[in-house]
Amino acid sequence: MGTTPIVTDAALVAAVADGDMTALRELYERHGAWLHARLIRRCNDHEVVVEVVQDTFVALWKDARRFRHDGEVGAWLWGIAFRRMVSRLRSRRDVVLVPDWDVSPAQQQLMPSAEDQVLLGVEYGDLAAGLRRLSPEFRSVVQAVVLDGLTTKEAGRLLGVRQNTVKTRLHRAKAQLRTALTEPQEGWR
Amino acid sequence: MTTGIQGWHAHPALLSSYVAGDLDAVAGASIEQHVSRCETCRAAVGQLLEPQVLEQTWTGIRDAVERPALPFPLRLARRCGLSEPTAVLLASAASLRGAWLVGAFLSLSFATLAAYASGGTALAPFLLAAPLAPVLGVAAAYGPRQDPLEALIATAPYGRTRLILLRTIGVLASVLPVTVLLGLAVPGPPWLAAAWLGPALALVPVLLALAGFVGPRTAATVVSLVWSGVVLGSTRAFAPTWPVEAAQQGVYLGLAVAACAVIAIRAGTDRQPGVAL
Repeated sequence: MGTTPIVTDAALVAAVADGDMTALRELYERHGAWLHARLIRRCNDHEVVVEVVQDTFVALWKDARRFRHDGEVGAWLWGIAFRRMVSRLRSRRDVVLVPDWDVSPAQQQLMPSAEDQVLLGVEYGDLAAGLRRLSPEFRSVVQAVVLDGLTTKEAGRLLGVRQNTVKTRLHRAKAQLRTALTEPQEGWR
Repeated sequence: MTTGIQGWHAHPALLSSYVAGDLDAVAGASIEQHVSRCETCRAAVGQLLEPQVLEQTWTGIRDAVERPALPFPLRLARRCGLSEPTAVLLASAASLRGAWLVGAFLSLSFATLAAYASGGTALAPFLLAAPLAPVLGVAAAYGPRQDPLEALIATAPYGRTRLILLRTIGVLASVLPVTVLLGLAVPGPPWLAAAWLGPALALVPVLLALAGFVGPRTAATVVSLVWSGVVLGSTRAFAPTWPVEAAQQGVYLGLAVAACAVIAIRAGTDRQPGVAL
């Protein structure tokens, strides 16, 4: 009757904490797919991705009480999922995917340029150009720590370098990005 | 470009190339940042993935969530790195159940109490019971009569030797700490608390080697009788600590080595797993 009331993610997590299976199912409907999609970009073993998503929701079922209701459920789930994936991939470096930072010509045709600009403009401003100019070592650190939300220690584990190296690289990458943002860019605006 | 975050949604073509893995890192990362905060685009990503994969994942989640929690000892064994099937097999051993452990603990307590009450002159009850507790525990841990899972184990492609050794370790781990603690309460020289470990650890391989020939029941009976004979016989002629003194410990060590050799040789000559035990 009428419009169904929209239950927030946080309310669903609270219901899961009380042992509500349908709430868990609803959260899986909302968040399972994009977690799959995001994880498969970081690991090319399909089985591992499925297991990590399963682990994540089983952890949600057990630890729903621990969710602090000041953050987003999606970000919280991603934190659980990616940390599990990192610890699982410690011994399996062969399936770790490092994203490709070079734009392929085919993709440039595929992506409408206006769309590209809106997307990157809205989310990052000139950051996109700055990110593309970083060296591969710096990019992977920025990806792991800034975009994927790992601690420097976890990022070191994922990338196979020491924590201090991650810190140094991150520091330098941020400095480079800062410069890139303050300099007027050619071809942008 | 004044489109706000709320009003903007990723183009379907963009999302499908994201899901297909065709986007480079910067575009992929911006999609990810957007999708993690945009309900509409999350739903759109859901439409692009294979439903079977999502359903397969959900089945796994539901099974894990609905499965009843394992009893505490099993969870403990899992923490120690055993797989779940192994933990279940381990815990099904009769001598690892609560009743058996309580029985062992009580008889050892009485033996300790007797030694304590006599002021250290009668160590025989403790020396008799302490090494036999792990031996009988190991004997009760396997064999057709004692094992509720025997039919399953006999037909499963699971190494019997491995199972028996695993259960032996389980029994030793559950009985030895308590016995060591009780041994500390026994009056007499301080080394006594550890000295009984010699015969205890020697009798276990002897039992396993014997059981390979005559079955666990008979082997347990023989070992118990022999050990009782040694302890009780020594009370007439020697000091109360005689069964665990240095010279005798050497004999136990020799026995243990010989028993292990017998097991190893029998396991080596017959390749069928578990035949030696």
